[in-house]
Amino acid sequence: MNETILRTEGLKTFYILDVFGTQKIVKAVNDVNLNIRTNEVYGIAGESGCGKTTLLKALAAAIEPPLRLVDGYIFYYVDGKAVDVATLSPEAKRKLRLDYIAYVPQGSMSALNPVIKLKETYQDFISSHVSGKTKEETIQLAEQHITELGLPPKILDSYPHQLSGGMRQRVTIALAALLKPSIIIADEPTTALDVVVQRGVVQLLMDIQKRLKNTIILVTHDMGVQANIADRVGIMYAGKIVEESTTEKIYGVPQHPYTKFLIDSLPQFGDKSTRQSVPGSPPSLIDLPSGCAFHPRCPHAMGICTEQTPDLITLDTDHKVACWLVGGEHGKTA
Amino acid sequence: MTFVKRYLIPRLVQYVLVIWLGITFVFLIPRVTPNDPVMRMIDQMQARGSTLEPGTMDEIIRDLTEMYGLEGSWLDQYWAFWGRLLRGDFGVSFFQFPTRVNKLIFTAMPWTLGLLLTTTAITWTLGNIIGGLAGYYSRKGWSRVLDAVAMIVRPLPYYIFAFMLLLIFAYVVRWFPITGGAPLGAIPTFTWPFIKSVIWHSTLPAVSLMVLGGAVTFQTMKLLVQNINAENFVQYAKLGGVKEGRIVGKYIIRNALLPQITGLALGLGQIFSGALITEIVYGYPGLGMLLYRAIVNGDYNLIMGIVIFSIFGITTAILLVDLTYPLFDPRVRYT
Repeated sequence: MNETILRTEGLKTFYILDVFGTQKIVKAVNDVNLNIRTNEVYGIAGESGCGKTTLLKALAAAIEPPLRLVDGYIFYYVDGKAVDVATLSPEAKRKLRLDYIAYVPQGSMSALNPVIKLKETYQDFISSHVSGKTKEETIQLAEQHITELGLPPKILDSYPHQLSGGMRQRVTIALAALLKPSIIIADEPTTALDVVVQRGVVQLLMDIQKRLKNTIILVTHDMGVQANIADRVGIMYAGKIVEESTTEKIYGVPQHPYTKFLIDSLPQFGDKSTRQSVPGSPPSLIDLPSGCAFHPRCPHAMGICTEQTPDLITLDTDHKVACWLVGGEHGKTA
Repeated sequence: MTFVKRYLIPRLVQYVLVIWLGITFVFLIPRVTPNDPVMRMIDQMQARGSTLEPGTMDEIIRDLTEMYGLEGSWLDQYWAFWGRLLRGDFGVSFFQFPTRVNKLIFTAMPWTLGLLLTTTAITWTLGNIIGGLAGYYSRKGWSRVLDAVAMIVRPLPYYIFAFMLLLIFAYVVRWFPITGGAPLGAIPTFTWPFIKSVIWHSTLPAVSLMVLGGAVTFQTMKLLVQNINAENFVQYAKLGGVKEGRIVGKYIIRNALLPQITGLALGLGQIFSGALITEIVYGYPGLGMLLYRAIVNGDYNLIMGIVIFSIFGITTAILLVDLTYPLFDPRVRYT
């Protein structure tokens, strides 16, 4: 088994908003325990508004007001040693970024500074981490890096608006891989791209992962993309991980009704029946339903579901689920 | 080349066209108002008690009509008007007869230019720097305090604020003079005592303009920076561990300044019409005051002279913004 590279313990990050004198608490990430390993692609899936992006912000140690770390820990394993991220100074965090943990933004439409050329963006990113290089050397490094990843080096002379959406997304992925980080966090990298371009983007991510043998944390609501590239998948609902397992088990023997709904919504070859979507819509993270947050939408809801929140229990190696349907057979504390 | 053909030339044609239209209106408007400058002049002469013989009267009327360019049909007048204009001749003033309009304008111009160029430059620079910092550190206490101050100052009507300053600092505590741009009767020279007295006289008008103008620049810049700070590319640069100084300079300020540059150019273009209220409140001898007196006295030639300068100032400023903007924002390219 691979070693742990990133771990969270009872992670709670809430948005604490002050709306006309009354405090509103958005429980975007509510008690999440992750154990992400080296050399794996870990997928996080779920509908929009379930806390995926907030979880990524926390994992990237970018918790800024109004988002707050309410409880729990995030550990990075830098050179085999566990580092509690919350105790790091801003400068120490800055140095870890791109070098240890890199981020690929959601929708790279506006992720690049519109008024400077890409080579200047590259230079800013490089010179903030690598000292003692001249301007020419950094540009050379950028060109070499871009060529290695199969992108045309002349794009460095372009402004972001001169490139297509797919190309911009590839540029941000290339930037993330620049310093060979141990972890790459990708937030909806394929969203807003057409399927042909999506394939190229996913391919680029996979190539990088194969070459660097590092960890990719991939957040996307696209279950098809998850099925293709993730080694393990965590299903997120209302700020919690409700099921986590290897990709084979998630898609082969899904246990949580929500996971089943997500998988049933995928189109399949040869099957022409109408796809089912999850009934209803995700709950407001300000005012969560009692008990299991999924119970108002769940066709199998029982009495206990409205009263008590199910714990994430381990079914067998590498398969965890938080649902009373399953808990009944295996016992709450298993 | 495509830039010249498809953008520059049409833009220059447009520039000339706008100026031509503006000046034509300047020519037309006084002629359709029921205010005959020649008869007003005669009235004024008679009011002073001079009795005129009918023969002399006709002669004076003819002379005045010629001097004001009111001879012949409107079309004749229009041609003659352009002829004089292209020679840079705006004719003689009416209420300061027979001083030439050019001389009046060029006497008032340095006062206005000196005051407004300095205040605009200082206001823009300080407003943007302080506003930018306050926007970036918008959660800090001092930023909130500054914001509150700007919020109180900005809605104050300018004339009330200007009067308050005058009352407090020129009348109650008497640190600054009540009126004028320099001591009465002083001859403008490039000597330190004269320059010092000009600065002393222009302090209150300058402060009044800078405080209110600065509050506006401050608030705009603060909001711009706050918005851009939340933009994806700034967040992305932060997550990429780019050094803070570089993010502030190259990512935030650089983008926030784009609309501010436009604002500055337009502000500079408006300098030629003077700052009327400032000049009235502080008795400052600038273009605004000159224009005001020209309007009150129905002095066509002088009004035309000042307005034409103003038209040139504003259209040229806009042209310069349009032509230089691509240097600041690569997304606006004229190809």
